[in-house]
Amino acid sequence: MTRMIRLRVNGAVHEVEVPSYRTLLDCLRNDLGLTGSKEGCGVGVCGACTVLLDGKMISSCIALAVFADGREVTTVEGLAEDERLHPVQQAFMDLGGFQCGICTPGQVVAAKALLDSTPNPSEAEIREWMLGNLCRCTGYYKIVESIQAAAQEARP
Amino acid sequence: MNAFEYRTPRALDEALAILEEFGEDARAVAGGTALVTMMRQRLVRPTCVVSLRDVAGLGRIEATNGVVRLGALVTHRDAEVSPLLRERLPVLAETFRRVATVRIRHMATVGGALAHADPNQDPPVTLLALGARVEIQRVGGQRELPLEAFFRDYYETALEPGELITGVSVPLLPAATGASFVKFLPRSADDYATVAVAAVVTLEPDGERCREARIALGSVAVTPLRARAAEAALAGERLDRRVLRATGEAARSEVDPLTDHRGSAAYKREMTAVMVGRALTQAWDVARRATR
Amino acid sequence: MALRIVGQPIGRLDGVDKVSGSARYSADVTLPGLVWGKALRSPLPHARIVRIDTSNARALPGVLAVLTARDLPDVLVGRRMFDMPMLARDRVRFIGEKVAVVAAVDPDIAEEATALIDVEYEDLPAIVDLVAAVEPGAPVVHANPGAYEGAPAERPHPNVQSVLRFKLGDVEAGFREADRIFEHTFRTQLAHHGYIEPHAGVVAIDEDGRVQVWASNKMPYRLKELLSHALQLPKERIRVNLTPIGGDFGGKGSLMDLPLAYHLARVTGRPVKMVMRYAEELMAGNPRHPSVITLRTGVKNDGTIVARQVKALFNSGAYAAFKPAPSVNLGGAGMGAGVYRIPHLLIESLCVYTNNIPCGHARSPGEPQMVFAGESHMDMIATELGLDPAEFRRRNLLQDGDHLANGHHLEHVRAKETLEAALEASHWSAPKAPGIGRGVAMTHRHIGVGFTNARVRLETKGTVTLLIGLPDTGTGAHLVLRQIVAELLDLSLDEVQVELVTTDVFETDSGVGGSRVTHTGGRAAYHATEKLKELIAAEAKKLGAPDASLATIAQAAAREGRTLEASYFYDAKAHAAVTSFTAQVAEVAVDPATGQVTVRHFTTTHDVGTVINPLGHQGQIEGGLIQGFGYALMEEMPTEDGRISTLNLGDFKLPTVGDIPPLTTVLLEDPVGPGPFRAKAIGEGSISAVAPAIANAVADACGVRIMDLPITAEKVYWALREQERRS
Repeated sequence: MTRMIRLRVNGAVHEVEVPSYRTLLDCLRNDLGLTGSKEGCGVGVCGACTVLLDGKMISSCIALAVFADGREVTTVEGLAEDERLHPVQQAFMDLGGFQCGICTPGQVVAAKALLDSTPNPSEAEIREWMLGNLCRCTGYYKIVESIQAAAQEARP
Repeated sequence: MNAFEYRTPRALDEALAILEEFGEDARAVAGGTALVTMMRQRLVRPTCVVSLRDVAGLGRIEATNGVVRLGALVTHRDAEVSPLLRERLPVLAETFRRVATVRIRHMATVGGALAHADPNQDPPVTLLALGARVEIQRVGGQRELPLEAFFRDYYETALEPGELITGVSVPLLPAATGASFVKFLPRSADDYATVAVAAVVTLEPDGERCREARIALGSVAVTPLRARAAEAALAGERLDRRVLRATGEAARSEVDPLTDHRGSAAYKREMTAVMVGRALTQAWDVARRATR
Repeated sequence: MALRIVGQPIGRLDGVDKVSGSARYSADVTLPGLVWGKALRSPLPHARIVRIDTSNARALPGVLAVLTARDLPDVLVGRRMFDMPMLARDRVRFIGEKVAVVAAVDPDIAEEATALIDVEYEDLPAIVDLVAAVEPGAPVVHANPGAYEGAPAERPHPNVQSVLRFKLGDVEAGFREADRIFEHTFRTQLAHHGYIEPHAGVVAIDEDGRVQVWASNKMPYRLKELLSHALQLPKERIRVNLTPIGGDFGGKGSLMDLPLAYHLARVTGRPVKMVMRYAEELMAGNPRHPSVITLRTGVKNDGTIVARQVKALFNSGAYAAFKPAPSVNLGGAGMGAGVYRIPHLLIESLCVYTNNIPCGHARSPGEPQMVFAGESHMDMIATELGLDPAEFRRRNLLQDGDHLANGHHLEHVRAKETLEAALEASHWSAPKAPGIGRGVAMTHRHIGVGFTNARVRLETKGTVTLLIGLPDTGTGAHLVLRQIVAELLDLSLDEVQVELVTTDVFETDSGVGGSRVTHTGGRAAYHATEKLKELIAAEAKKLGAPDASLATIAQAAAREGRTLEASYFYDAKAHAAVTSFTAQVAEVAVDPATGQVTVRHFTTTHDVGTVINPLGHQGQIEGGLIQGFGYALMEEMPTEDGRISTLNLGDFKLPTVGDIPPLTTVLLEDPVGPGPFRAKAIGEGSISAVAPAIANAVADACGVRIMDLPITAEKVYWALREQERRS
């Protein structure tokens, strides 16, 4: 039982035939070749699969691909603009917000969504928003610092 | 996951018709955070999944005649940030905010959470304390139930095959009332509660004695429940340490927790008493301020 | 010597791929015609396999192959002791052991197919309790462990995999000298490493019959050797292509599912990808060993330690296959002596077979277990002696010239300085409100040893490429290597690039782990660069242009068909005569009504060598520390009858950003390490003392002593009520 879905990913429209059981994550990774989003825990807890669906961050490993039919998806691959890294991406590099990098796509997508909705978040707001993005390498300190720096940078 | 037929009705009666057609072989999905996870783990294997995501008219939060109504497809996040809810029923907005993480809250819906009936969830606890009612529809009929009658057993509700939750209505708080929600998380900031308590305390006009108390408990039985003995222990009383202790003891005797990764049954029993005390103290404080 | 680039907190310039999502980890690798492999795992802890019927699985559309042990050569795999079949042959020994494997066109179909494989089992008596497993008459996990390749000879009980001893002096004589003797037993829990990337691998057999491998494995050359052994193929037939690894922490050094991916590739003629689901990681992912550790310490009345005897049991589970040390044991058992001078010492560490998940190495293998026990024990003794815990430690710290039981001899010992720095930074002596407590704990960690090949090549545009076969596990090591090369050649960082080679290049490399890469990788890169410098100087002299640019020199050589490059094989055979001390202080609040422990502040002090990249160095400290924090307070995998009940990350809790404590770090830099520019190591320094620091703080706060990890609110609560009852 397959369905033809039409979704806009990082601004580009894709038409892809998927079985109903295909998760959005598997569709992005395997059908569309966008391997930036990762599968970690597979139950929506770790955040490695974080993407934006119509601008809202979700766990793509527990979303069906068919949920994205007719909708807009933003993945980590869509954060940079014309070779220019998003301030969040640049901050993570400058301040050590990543180490092994496996959680990083989810972290930067989530952080971008935070700054889109709250350009000047307090530390408490950062922690609450990012609660569901697990990292095992950094201990989180430099992730928080990176997001704070990106918020500073983005302010005019 | 197994292969399944996926339907996308655009109207409620279309959705109900499909559910009636497939009976127990169909599952409705809205946010999918519970259902898709269970399907990935092969715990449920429906032949047909009916998406409610495009069904119109079920996503509103509105207040009329002293009642706030949340449509079944209102997401946890919608409820958390709703200016109406934050103003009129802040304890409920706050409770939605405590659920899991923002990613989950963007998808998980009010109706979906109730239908899932996981006894460790937060919103049912506060909804119970607030006296919420559930609206249910089927092909050719509808009914309404108090939330207490809705939860039957562990992951079991009063929903019959073919029925869908369409909304939840919650009465506004009367005057001289304060409400609180306490979620005890001894392990991690992102977790199900070891014990959750929602308390709604209405004071006498003099602001001294309790006129009515409603206490609901979560994660301490196979369903969320009203702690009626505890409520009785409060009625007509002033809040002091003796009354708080008695109320906590009464609540403790009413629960039958399951041992799980968040605590043993015995610990949850103890913590019921402690958290009821804390929730009551908070609610009482709010109520007292409301009477001045 | 003023350093220009070494010592600078340079950001992760190498991270564009990671922040943009273009870095290709093993699970991201795709090849034309790729199919997916999935394993069926045993639901029983110990059972005979009576019959396997794969017919329904084979019949599922989209399934290309189903294999059982019958389809594979009878080869046992391992890292040092080879006792594990690739697929269970006649019996299963733990819940999660692989019984069959499927290849299908998509991962969902592969998983559906595994559920269609029908296996009939006959239950066998299982032994799951660690202590009971070494008692007489315990059910035996392996009939004849001594017969396995690599099995150590000493076997006091059929369920003992290995025995490791550390000895100094004469412990019985030491106890006779003691004025008082104390004995305590501690327990630590099963805990997975929690790397966010599950094991993943792709195996393809190319047109030349070579086996191409992409795998989340941090020692690719050893992987090549082990695959050669498991697949019975000459090493030259195998090529491991390096991929970045999404977190290792000691857990990604084994074959895992790769031999099965190979056999599926062989049978289907297609490249095969196998990725573990996280539930499979939690069921079979070689986690940290649980332990039961008894320490017995004799002291003089003035608080001097004269003797210590340690008996450690580590629950290794059903197979020894995941342990890489020659001893097939955990070197961290040596930390039973802590950071103290103990003239009479006997440590006995037993790795024990049970019908549980096979365990392996995890960050600082054996040390978080041993240091929790040892540093808790120290505080308990201090309390009995009426001594401040810091003072008790002061009286016994290691000093310059001391010898450890593992044979290491120590110089530049700064245990005391490290302790004092921690006490000062944490305001150890400041008054505390009721319910607030402070606890201190110490450890030390040697600089890792191993061997690495490096080559540096001067390019015609005047830049330098460092070729190396060490994969990227995330530590920032490659940036450190670039800094070293750039420093020596007086180049900017942009002018030095790292090229990760396949295992076709270079003969060998001990890979990443054991806090060795800055040392071994660094020294290899350092000496190769020095050799290159000589070649460049000679070339410049030949040109008669001593100040010629690197580009000019390279181009001149190129015109004669030559490339200027130099290689170096660095083999750190022995441990350096220095170590790195860590002292940590936790300040906690205990809620007496619930037992909940809140860490209000955490102080970590480290005795370090030259810090080549302070940003990366601090990242390693913070990451290890929070792993220790999770181990102390929330990580556990309750197991009953061999069945682990935490099979997802919602149940097995890892710390979130909402859980971390405010942190103060103090570094004492002493340029005496064996690494380049006198660097030491840091990767495993911050994890082991966290749990005892917190346990000691809890005891200080409310008098409750938790002797088994993790320190949960519930444990503290019951202990408080018991304490009330007794008083």
